[in-house]
Amino acid sequence: MDELEVISWGERLSLFRFALLAALLAGAVCPLLGVFLHVRRTSFYGIALPQFATAGVVFGFVILPWWLENIGLGALDFAGAMHDSHAAMNYHLAWSNVFTFGGLLALLALGRRGGSEVGRVAASFAIAAAATLLFGRMSPVGKGFVDELLSGELLGVGVHECETLAVVFGLAAGALLLFQRDLLLVSYDRESALVLGKRVFALEAVLTVVTGLVISVGTMVLGPIVLFGLIVLPAIGARAWARSMRSYLRLASAFGVGAVLLGVAASFEFDLPLGAAITGAAALLLAPGGLLRRG
Amino acid sequence: MSVPALLLVQNAAFGYGRRAVVSGVNLRVEPGQFLGLVGPNGAGKTTLFRGLLGLIPPLEGRVERGARAIGYVPQRESLDALYPVTVEEVVQMGAYAKLRGLRRLPRDERERAVVCLERVGLAERRAAPFSTLSGGQRQRVLIARALMVEPELLLLDEPTTGVDRGAQAHILQLLSELNATQRLAVLLVSHQISMVRQTVQRVLWVAEGRVTEGLAAQMLAPENLDRLYSATGRAPLGEDA
Repeated sequence: MDELEVISWGERLSLFRFALLAALLAGAVCPLLGVFLHVRRTSFYGIALPQFATAGVVFGFVILPWWLENIGLGALDFAGAMHDSHAAMNYHLAWSNVFTFGGLLALLALGRRGGSEVGRVAASFAIAAAATLLFGRMSPVGKGFVDELLSGELLGVGVHECETLAVVFGLAAGALLLFQRDLLLVSYDRESALVLGKRVFALEAVLTVVTGLVISVGTMVLGPIVLFGLIVLPAIGARAWARSMRSYLRLASAFGVGAVLLGVAASFEFDLPLGAAITGAAALLLAPGGLLRRG
Repeated sequence: MSVPALLLVQNAAFGYGRRAVVSGVNLRVEPGQFLGLVGPNGAGKTTLFRGLLGLIPPLEGRVERGARAIGYVPQRESLDALYPVTVEEVVQMGAYAKLRGLRRLPRDERERAVVCLERVGLAERRAAPFSTLSGGQRQRVLIARALMVEPELLLLDEPTTGVDRGAQAHILQLLSELNATQRLAVLLVSHQISMVRQTVQRVLWVAEGRVTEGLAAQMLAPENLDRLYSATGRAPLGEDA
């Protein structure tokens, strides 16, 4: 008999509470960002950027021995850096940020030159995916962590990751809700926003920073598969039902939380990887909206 | 005593980078004027219009905006139907400049949005998704949004392009009423010569990087159009340039 089968649901919820809490937070917040990416027709960013973040995390492992020898990570030696989850997380988070914001700024800069946005983002996804595999092959350490990250196995999320996620996602949700009207106006009708005297550049910077932080921290803690699923899918699923921007944001967030709950139930019941189960559940929630559009 | 100008442009040049697309622009817009900005495609109408709106700074010369508020009506095609916005939400965007943070739109602003929608004859459609309206109705909603800022000057970018003749007439009648009853100054960009000739008082003809101002009836008279177009080296495209 599988070990997990003899553990009750209550015990599983208690044992994996940090992973579940992190997933629920992501379910509530990622779709808010996804809504803005979707209506701005930049949903592909929600797929390409987590891959950049993953490449950053893996790159951190590649250069970890060199880093410890030449720069240092607190007073940690190699074994300490591999086992001190707080210091290691901050180190990898920094690389995740560097790669995510690097990719985001590169995409924005290239976007100013015109051409095919979809082509650019697809190419960047391919490059980031290849880099992740190449860095993984070059890395002498961290294979287990990287495999978990890539497969979306997030049950190992601990208190530090959960705290970091809560702070960053809380700030991101606050910014998106605080500026939702302005972000809507700037996204929907940029020229009118300028004529009305809105600080368009600052508002776009807010959206860029929120996008980068949510994706880099989310990928580091939850893995790219969950991020893809929760940023892109609930926003698409909720669009068919939304009658106003306000209802769209609420519905997308509800779809995200629903996908997490469904995914957790499926994962526990059928012993599936949690991240993939959540993304699968988010994909299932697209179906009613698709039928509504056909009907 | 002269009337203060709502918009004053003196020897201005507008363009991108260091390249001027239109230059030597002189313009004075006063309350109650109805102006049309016309010219062949690629002549610099959009560049001049963006300069008047303040979206691009003048490369030289001066632009003074004396109007308390300027209402801007963009081309409706620039607004993506992917956004699930209602007609009322679109109109209320006109009041966003006054709002900060999570504060709800005050009741008087929400009521004024309905009044603006009544003004354009679409109050009963306020809960409808904006994307479900016809082209002419969407244009009127955007005019209602521009009215939310209580403008003294209304700037419209191709307001009648792509709508049927009935809707065109409705939009032009609305603009004429606003111009006549509220002394709202109106400046619209258009390539529809016949429409502009019948509606506006004065015309800014943009061609070859220069702007010529004159009375609409005279400048856009059929006998003059051939001369204007031959000066640009292009053939007039019938009544719609």
